[in-house]
Amino acid sequence: MVPIPYYLLLAAALFCMGMFGVMVRRNALVVFMCVELMLNAANLTFLAFARMHGDVIGHVSAFFVIAVAASEAAIGLAIVIAVFRSRGSVLVEDLRTMKH
Amino acid sequence: MTSLSEFLQVAPVAPDVLAPSLWLIIALPLLGAFICGVFGKMLGRANVHLIACSTVGGAFVLSVLTFWATSSMDLESRRLLSFFVNPFGQDRDYVRYALAYDYGTWFSAGDFRVNFGLMVDHLSGILLLVITGVGFLIHLYSTSYMEHDPAYARFFAYLNLFVAAMLVLVMADNLVLLFVGWEGVGMASYLLIGFWYEDPAKAWAGRKAFVTNRIGDFAFLIATFLMVLTVGAFTRQADERDFTSVGTSSERYASALSDKGPVTFLGLQKMAEALPDGGPGQVNLSTVINAGPLEGYTFGGVMTAALLLFLLGAAGKSAQLPLYVWLPDAMAGPTPVSALIHAATMVTAGVYLFSRMSALLVLSPTAMATVAIIGALTSLLAALIAFAQDDIKKVLAYSTVSQLGIMFMGVGMGIFWAAVLHLVTHAFFKACLFLGAGSVMHGNGDETDIKKLGGLRREMKWTWGTFFVATLAITGIVPLSGFFSKDAIFHGVHHNHLAGLPWVSSVVYYLGLLIAACTAFYMTRVYLLTFEGPRSKEARVAHAHESAWQMTLPLVVLAILSVVSSIYAWPLLKASSDGRPQPVFENFLSPVFSAMNRVVATGKTVELDTSVPAMGDYVFAWLVAVSGGALAGFLYLKFFPSRAGQPVPAFARAVRRAAQNKFYVDELYELVIIRPVKFTAFILFRVVDALLIDTVAVRGTAWVTARVGSALRYVQSGDAQAYAAVMALALVGGVAYALIQVLQ
Repeated sequence: MVPIPYYLLLAAALFCMGMFGVMVRRNALVVFMCVELMLNAANLTFLAFARMHGDVIGHVSAFFVIAVAASEAAIGLAIVIAVFRSRGSVLVEDLRTMKH
Repeated sequence: MTSLSEFLQVAPVAPDVLAPSLWLIIALPLLGAFICGVFGKMLGRANVHLIACSTVGGAFVLSVLTFWATSSMDLESRRLLSFFVNPFGQDRDYVRYALAYDYGTWFSAGDFRVNFGLMVDHLSGILLLVITGVGFLIHLYSTSYMEHDPAYARFFAYLNLFVAAMLVLVMADNLVLLFVGWEGVGMASYLLIGFWYEDPAKAWAGRKAFVTNRIGDFAFLIATFLMVLTVGAFTRQADERDFTSVGTSSERYASALSDKGPVTFLGLQKMAEALPDGGPGQVNLSTVINAGPLEGYTFGGVMTAALLLFLLGAAGKSAQLPLYVWLPDAMAGPTPVSALIHAATMVTAGVYLFSRMSALLVLSPTAMATVAIIGALTSLLAALIAFAQDDIKKVLAYSTVSQLGIMFMGVGMGIFWAAVLHLVTHAFFKACLFLGAGSVMHGNGDETDIKKLGGLRREMKWTWGTFFVATLAITGIVPLSGFFSKDAIFHGVHHNHLAGLPWVSSVVYYLGLLIAACTAFYMTRVYLLTFEGPRSKEARVAHAHESAWQMTLPLVVLAILSVVSSIYAWPLLKASSDGRPQPVFENFLSPVFSAMNRVVATGKTVELDTSVPAMGDYVFAWLVAVSGGALAGFLYLKFFPSRAGQPVPAFARAVRRAAQNKFYVDELYELVIIRPVKFTAFILFRVVDALLIDTVAVRGTAWVTARVGSALRYVQSGDAQAYAAVMALALVGGVAYALIQVLQ
């Protein structure tokens, strides 16, 4: 069996890649995908610890995260489509209306 | 004769009917002030005069009724009907010749309570008559004197307001209500001195009077608080034995305090009576207060401190030594104001206050000596300044300061009745002199310089006659009132002795003789220069004209009063205690000062000699006065006219200039007090107010907020990725911190 630290390192790498994507990519859809990547990194740590402790709490948490991520993706996609319809762009820099 | 005395002993309005209406005496002039002040412009001249005069006249009628009622007797039982619901002693104090009514609690805080109580006894009764009587005459006089002034309605409103405030002062039965009147007269005086406010000098004079008075009033307030604390300490420490001698019990005293408050004059008086009677274990003057804010001080020490503060308060109002400078400047106001306020009523408030609290004052020989010495020094200084003044009103103003000093000498040496009598007679003749001066100014185109008058004797007959009588009265010529009242004071001053300070009596007495000679000198000078001799070539109008009857009638009445009031100083009555002859006024005021006499008898702080002056004393006093007058007569009738045109010796000119400039007292105050205060105020203004508060605290806060805001504006870009970057950085920081914590 692979030792826990490897899983954790993999999760950290995934999280950092996701975060990097969130911060630098301009397309909102890609940003969402990067967020998914970060959530999956979190899921991976949950499962690794669940496996280590031999209980089911980690599994349950992972399921919750997947459920929340799915619903968030649905809503986020709807928002992105609505924005695209009104503005003709999905680039993050263009969406600065929150400033006002 | 019997029927007359019975007539005088039965008041037309029964005392118990009259007592609840005492407030009307104050309310009438107040109403007049309101009507004249608010509706004066609409009413027209005649109506304003009518209202102003009739309200004061009405107050005078009520005062007469009240005064009458204080001696009202039941002819069958020969007992006084006037009553005094007196929780401090007997239920109805039949002996006190007083009418009182308590209108209930004015305010209370904790166990401190002040009632709105009015009281008229023989002391305040006689002052009521003076205030409303002389006040009415002066109102009448003003109707003619202020005829051509456009703001006559305002003038009468202020004048009525003053009368109301003075009546509050006199009728109050506690210190706090007295303070209301005390402040009220100060304010009315300020308004009236600065009545012609278009002239900056006159407005300044009003302000000076106001500020000077405030200093005294502040001392008065502190003294009042000290009294409240002392009464509290006394109630806690005294026991049943302390009260046995004063006809009350400690429970009764305590319940009366909770009912009437600690600052009632009667309560203070009962405490004063209990204090000197010191058996073993009892509370007396040298007992140390064992709790409260005054812990560690003796009752006597606190009492002396409080009385000295009261003296400072009285010095402000009555123009005594450190604070007398406002009164001569107050002559900037209209002349009737000078007569009413600065000669007859307000300035005597200090004398009234000490007479009212005579029982407390005699507890402290130190305070008494200070009062007497302050009085004597003030009197002498003012008399010396009066020598060289050329403004007729200024001379009279300094003479007022001087006469008030004489009253303070009397108060300080324990001859209270004579001080009050001198107060009354001085009100008559000084009001007459001031009104006469006003009449002179009125007839001479507002000329106040006595060197540019002269020869008015033939042109203003009524003014001349009354001024002459009043001059004789203040100079002290037999048989006018000033002679008897002043010499009653000097006689008492000479023969009373303060315990532990035996030298005060003789010092003050000899200063008094000097003052009497000075008074005679400068009054004769004013009289001669104004009325005798040829008419001055510098006169503004060729012929003076006599004033209207509204002005001469008060003059005549006041002149008559200043003659006939001398009868009150004659020893016509017998003392009830030992049957020796007693002056009418002493007999008359004896119920008021009975507590003081009891305190003196047990406390032995002052040795009172109640004998009446013998013929030798009178002759001596008369000679002193006449010598001063004769010297002035010689100088101004013979010596100076014969030397006209010759150069004046240098030293004489220097002395005269110094006296003319009031011995530079104002300049000294300017240098020692006003300049440093102004400098400190300037520093405080520049550094503390302008720099620290305005710049740093107020504007600095706004500046910092604005700068921080404009800096933070750049952070709020609305860019989601920038926010995410900040969150990521925070996360990194948090992780780094957690790592450091774990690794340690």
